[in-house]
Amino acid sequence: MSKMNLSGNEAVARAAVDAGAKLITGYPGTPSSEVIGSIWDKAPEGVAVEWSVNEKVAFEQAGACAWAGQRALSTMKMSGLNVAYDSVISIAYSGCVGGLVLYVCDDPGVAAGMPEQDVRGFALMSDLPVLEPASVLESYTLTRYAFELSEAIGGPVMVRSVTNVAQSHALVELPPAEGFTPREPALIRDIMKYTKAGAKICMDQHQDLLGRLEQAETKISADRLYTLDLSEHAKVGVVSVGVANSFLTEARALLQEQGIDTDNLALLKLSATSPLPRAAVAELLTQCETVAVLEENEPYVEKALIVAAYQRKKQVRIIGKLEGPLSRIGSYNALTCAKGMAAALGAMFRTDLFSHDPAAAEALCCARPIGVCAGCPHRGVYIGLNQAVKKLGYKKDQVMITGDIGCTILGMSPPFHTLWTEVAMGASIAMAQGYVHAGVKTPVFATIGDSTFMHAGMPPLLNAVQNQTPVTVIIMDNGWTAMTGMQVNANTAPEYQQTPDKQRVDVVDIVKGLGVRQLFITDPYDLPKMTETIVEAARLPGVKVIVTRRECAIQAGRHKKERLHKVIDEEKCINCKLCITTTGCPSLVWDGVQMKIDPAQCNGCGVCVSICPKEAIGNE
Amino acid sequence: MNNFDIYLVGVGGQGILTIADMIMRAAEAEDIPANYFPTKGMAQRGGFVKAQLKLGRDTVGPDIRPGGADLVIAMELSESLKALRYLKAGGDFVVYGYQWQPTEVMLGKAAYPTVAQVREQAELSGARFHYLDPGQLPEGAADNIWLLAACLGKTPLGQFISAAAVQDAIVQRWPKGAERNMKSFKAGLEV
Repeated sequence: MSKMNLSGNEAVARAAVDAGAKLITGYPGTPSSEVIGSIWDKAPEGVAVEWSVNEKVAFEQAGACAWAGQRALSTMKMSGLNVAYDSVISIAYSGCVGGLVLYVCDDPGVAAGMPEQDVRGFALMSDLPVLEPASVLESYTLTRYAFELSEAIGGPVMVRSVTNVAQSHALVELPPAEGFTPREPALIRDIMKYTKAGAKICMDQHQDLLGRLEQAETKISADRLYTLDLSEHAKVGVVSVGVANSFLTEARALLQEQGIDTDNLALLKLSATSPLPRAAVAELLTQCETVAVLEENEPYVEKALIVAAYQRKKQVRIIGKLEGPLSRIGSYNALTCAKGMAAALGAMFRTDLFSHDPAAAEALCCARPIGVCAGCPHRGVYIGLNQAVKKLGYKKDQVMITGDIGCTILGMSPPFHTLWTEVAMGASIAMAQGYVHAGVKTPVFATIGDSTFMHAGMPPLLNAVQNQTPVTVIIMDNGWTAMTGMQVNANTAPEYQQTPDKQRVDVVDIVKGLGVRQLFITDPYDLPKMTETIVEAARLPGVKVIVTRRECAIQAGRHKKERLHKVIDEEKCINCKLCITTTGCPSLVWDGVQMKIDPAQCNGCGVCVSICPKEAIGNE
Repeated sequence: MNNFDIYLVGVGGQGILTIADMIMRAAEAEDIPANYFPTKGMAQRGGFVKAQLKLGRDTVGPDIRPGGADLVIAMELSESLKALRYLKAGGDFVVYGYQWQPTEVMLGKAAYPTVAQVREQAELSGARFHYLDPGQLPEGAADNIWLLAACLGKTPLGQFISAAAVQDAIVQRWPKGAERNMKSFKAGLEV
C-alpha cells in the first residue's frame, strides 16, 4: 500500500472505518474536530457519522450501538468528556458487547483555551484502559487496536490524544483494512448489566469492571503494547508514555551533544497509562535504582511507579514532577525530556542554550488580542449591549453580562469589554440567575451562541422560566458552530445539513417550546434596533430572550452571499476615529492621516455606518 | 545534514500555512520523512499562527525545542520575534517585513517593533538575519510563494529539498493559478 498524508485526527477516523465502526459521533472541539470533520460529508455506505447535539448524547448513542453488538466511536475534546462523563462511567461499569472507543483530545500547552486538564484521570476513575498514540501512525494503529481490546475485555476503551499528535500531519503507510464482516444488531435483555437498580447489580458491575481492567493488562502485556530495553543492567531507567516517546531519540542526542553518556539507560516506552504492563514495570524497577518518568500534565504513571516500587519494597528514586525537575504545566519537547533524563543520570545538563535572552525579543512583540472578524454579527450585539447599558442609566461596571463558550466569548476582548465570565457550555444562563439570587438589583444578562445553547443552554433557560428569575438571555444565532471550524448544528440552514432528509430545528422554536413568553428577534447588523431591543427587554420583568439572527460572516462570504463594501467619504469624515475605537473592526484602517476601510476585509455589515456621527460611511 | 527543522510564524490570512504545506508536499515527493504540526489556535484573520515542520527523521516528536530550528520563516514583522527562541545558534532567520498592525498600534496606543529592533534581536541571538522588504515584492506576485522561493534560494533549505519539487507541488496544488505562482516563485528564487 502506498503512503498517504494524514493528520492524527484523520488517522483515527480512518481506523474506525477500517475497524468496521457502524457509528461515529461527536461534538466539535479543538483539537479533536477533524476526526468527524474529515468524514462527515463522505461517510462510507452503512456508517452513520454525526455531529451530535452534545458529547453526552454522542457517547450514549455510541454506547447503545455497542450494546447492540456493533462497533462505535465517539470523539470529543477534554471539556466534552466532562459533559459526557455521567454516561461514560455508567457504561464503563456496564461494559459492552461490540467495540466501543472513546477518543478524547487533551491540550497540554493550551493551543485553544479551556482548562489544561488531563483526561487520563477520568479513565483511572472509571477503570477504563487508556491508550495514548505517540504519532500519526499510532493514532491509526492504536485506534484499531482499541476496538479489538474493547471486544476482548467487553468494555469501552479510551484513546487519549494531545493537540500536537492529533493535529500533526505525516506521511504514513497504513496496514491493510481488516475484512470486517458487517453484523446484524442484537437486542440483549440483561438488567444485571444494563441497569443500575439495586446494590447487588451495582457492586457486581464494579467487580466485573475490575476484572475487565485485569484482562486488559493481560492482553496489553501479551500483545507487547510497550517496548522494554533493559540495556545490560543499566541502573538508570526512563519510562515514557504517549507523545513523550516520540522525543526520546532527539533528547538523547541533546544529552550526547553535552557529553552526557546515554548508552547505559533502560527504556520502557508505554502506549497506555492504564493498565500498566505489570511484569515489564517489575523488571525495570528490579534492575534500576533511579527512574525518570516522562509524561505530560499529571503524574499518573509516576505515582503508579512509586506505588509499584513500594509494593516491591524496592528503594527506587522516581524523577518526575513530584520531586522535580519536570512540570505539570505545558507541553513537552526534546529539551524537557532531556532535562528529565539528565536528572535521572545525575548529570549536569545546560538548558540555558541562548547567548541572548529570547524573552527580551518577545517583550518587543506587539499584543494581538483575539477579536471578532470583519462583519461578524456578534459585534453588533456587544456594541448594542454597551449602548443599552448606558441608555438604561448604568455604568459598565454595574451591569453583569455573563458569557459562554465559542466565538461569542470574544466580547470579553477590547474594544468591547462587554462580557464578565466564561465557565462551561451553557453556564452563562445559570450563572446569570445566580447573580440575580445574590441580590444584584441591576439588570442581569446572559449571552450564548446557538450551538452552545442547544448543547447545554436549554436546561438553565427552562430553570429560569419555571422560577421566573428575571434575566435577559441573548442567543447569538449565527447559524453555525463557528469557533471550532464551522460545523453544522441542528439550527443550521437546511441547505447545509448533512443530507436532504435531516430536519433543521429553529432555535426560536426551541425557545418558545421552553415556555419563554417574552421573545424578541433582531438583526445585529441593525445596531439602533439592536440597542433599542435590549433596552426594552431589560425593562420587562421575568425571563426575556433576544435571538439575534445573522449568518456568520465567514460562512456567508464562502457561500458568496456578499454584501456591498462600505467606504468612507473623506470629505465628510472628521477622523474622530469613533468607528475604529467602538467596533475594533479589522477592516478599519488608520494610516496616520485618514481613516479608511480596507475593501479586501470589509464584509459590509454596516455597523460602523450607524456609529459615525457625521454620516461619512456608506455603500461603495 | 540528515534533518532540517523549520519554525514558521505569521498571522491568520497571510498564507503561512500554505508555505509549510508546500514544503511538506515536496518532502513527500522526495521521500523525505516529515512531520507538519500547524497551530491555528483561535485564529481567524489577524490572529497568531505558527507551524512546525520537522524533516528527515523517521521517529520524531511534533514540537521543535527551543534552540532547535534550522530555519525560521516569519511573514509578519512583530510575530517574527516569537520565533527567535526556537532558532538554533547560527540558524537562518528569514523575516518578511509585512506589518499587520493591531488597532491599538494604529491608534498610537501600543508600540510596534521597528525593523532595526528585530534585526538587533536576531543578531544578538546569533541568527543569520535575512530581511525581505514587502517593497521588493514584484507587482502582482503572491507574497507567500515568493517568500518560500526566497528561502530556497537564500538558506540551506534549498540543499535539503529541491526547488523543483516545491515548484511541482505548487503547480499541482493550483493548476489554475500556475502562471502567477510560477512568476512569483521564479522571482523569489532570484532575491
